[in-house]
Amino acid sequence: MNPLVLLFLLLPVAFLSGWWTARRLGARHSVARVDELSSSYFRGLNYLLNEQPDKAIEEFLKLAEANRDTIETHLALGNLFRRRGEVDRAIRVHQHLIARPTLNDEFKTMALLELGEDYMRAGLLDRAETLFADLVVMNAQAPSALRHLIAICQHERDWHKAILYSRRLEEASGESQALQIAHFYSELAERAQAHGASQEAEEHLGHALSAFPGFVRVHMLRGRFAAAKGNYDAAIAAYEQALEADIDYVPEILPALLDAYARAQQLDRAERVLGQMVKRYEGISPVLALARIYARRDGRQRAVEFLGAQLRQRPSVRGLVQLMDTAIEDDAGAESNLPMLRDLTAALLEGQALYRCTQCGFGARAHHWQCPSCKSWSSLRPVHGAAGA
Amino acid sequence: MRFVIIALLLVFAFFGAAFAALNAGTIHYDFLVATLDLPKGVSLLAAIILGWLLGGLSAWAGRGWRMRDAGRRRDGRDQA
Repeated sequence: MNPLVLLFLLLPVAFLSGWWTARRLGARHSVARVDELSSSYFRGLNYLLNEQPDKAIEEFLKLAEANRDTIETHLALGNLFRRRGEVDRAIRVHQHLIARPTLNDEFKTMALLELGEDYMRAGLLDRAETLFADLVVMNAQAPSALRHLIAICQHERDWHKAILYSRRLEEASGESQALQIAHFYSELAERAQAHGASQEAEEHLGHALSAFPGFVRVHMLRGRFAAAKGNYDAAIAAYEQALEADIDYVPEILPALLDAYARAQQLDRAERVLGQMVKRYEGISPVLALARIYARRDGRQRAVEFLGAQLRQRPSVRGLVQLMDTAIEDDAGAESNLPMLRDLTAALLEGQALYRCTQCGFGARAHHWQCPSCKSWSSLRPVHGAAGA
Repeated sequence: MRFVIIALLLVFAFFGAAFAALNAGTIHYDFLVATLDLPKGVSLLAAIILGWLLGGLSAWAGRGWRMRDAGRRRDGRDQA
C-alpha cells in the first residue's frame, strides 16, 4: 500500500477530533450555565429562609431573565410580590404567565389561581370570584378555587352561595364541611330572625341540625329566640340541650340560661343544673353562678364557704374577686384595704383573653363563632386556668 | 500537563516542517472553472483543518437539532 494513502486516514481523524472538541465545549457551556442558574436559585432560597424577601426577589428576577421559560420561578416571584404587598406587580407577573400561548393547562390553572389570590389581596373580590368560578367550571384546581369562593362569600355574607360552594367542595375534596355549613345556616337563621321571619329562621336551624347533628349553636339560637318571645321554659330546655351538646360553651350559655331560670322562677332547677355543671366543667363560671344563688338564698356565709372550698380545688382570679366582693359587703363601713386589693386583682384581669382560637392562637375577650384572625369556625374556646372563665 | 502538550505540539511542528520540506512539490487541482497549484504540505494541512471544522460543525448542528426537538416535544406536551 502506498504510504501516502495512510495520510488520507488523517481526514476522518481530523473530523472526529473536531466533532469531539465541539461536543466538549458545548457540554462545558451547558454545565456552566446550569451551575450559574442553580447558584442563583439557592441564593434566592437562602434569602427566603433568612426572611430577606427583597434580596430573594432580586435573585429570582435574575433567574427569570436568564430563562424566560421558567414558569415555577415566575410563580414564586408572583407569590413573593403578593406576600410583600406589591399586588400590582404580582398581578402583572401572573397575567404575563397566563398570556403565554405555550403554557400547559396545569400551569395555566395554577397561574389563574394565583391571579385570583392577587385580586383577593387587592380587594377586587368580584374579579377574583369570576376567576375562581371559571376554574370550578373548568374543574381545574376545584378544591382550592372553591375554598377561595367560600371565603369571598363569607366576606360578602352571601350564606346561600357559601352553602352551595361548601357542598361542592365536599364533593370535590371528600372532606366534610358539615360544621361550616351548619354555621352558614345559623347565620341565615339569625338574619331571618332579625327580620321577624321566625318560621324561616326555624327552618334554617333545622337544616343546620341536619347538616351537623348536635350542633351547639343551633340550641343556643333556639334558646335565644324562645327567650325573646318570652317562652322561658323552651329557652331553658334549649340552653340545657346546648350544654349537653358542648360543655365548653358554659361561659357563653350561662348568663342567658340563668336569666331564663330567674324569669321562669326555676331557681331550684338552676341549682341542680349548676351543681352538675360544676362537676363536669373545669372553669369557674358555674361555681360563681352557684355561689351567687347560695348568697341570695342561704346568706353570704354559705356562699363564702362554698366559694372558698371550690377555689382551693380550682384557683381562679375571677373567683378571688367575687370572694373579695363578698368580704367587702360583709365589712361595709369598716376601714379596710380590701377594696383596693379587689380593684388591683380586677385590674389583673383587664386585657386578658377569655377565649383563644385552637387553630391560630388568636385571643379574644368576647366570643366569636368565626375566628377574626384565621376565619375558622368554632375554633374559639374558653381559656381555662387562673385567669379563665 | 501543559509541558506535555507543548512538547507534543513541538514534535508535530517538527514532523510537519520535515514533511513539507521532503514534499516540496506542488499538487495541481482542476476545479473545472479554475485551476490551483498548492504545495503538498499546505494541501494536506488544509484538508485536515477542513475535516476538523466539518466535524465541529456537525457536532454543533446535531446539538442544536436535539435542543430544538426537545423544545418541540415540550411545547407539544404544553398544548396537550
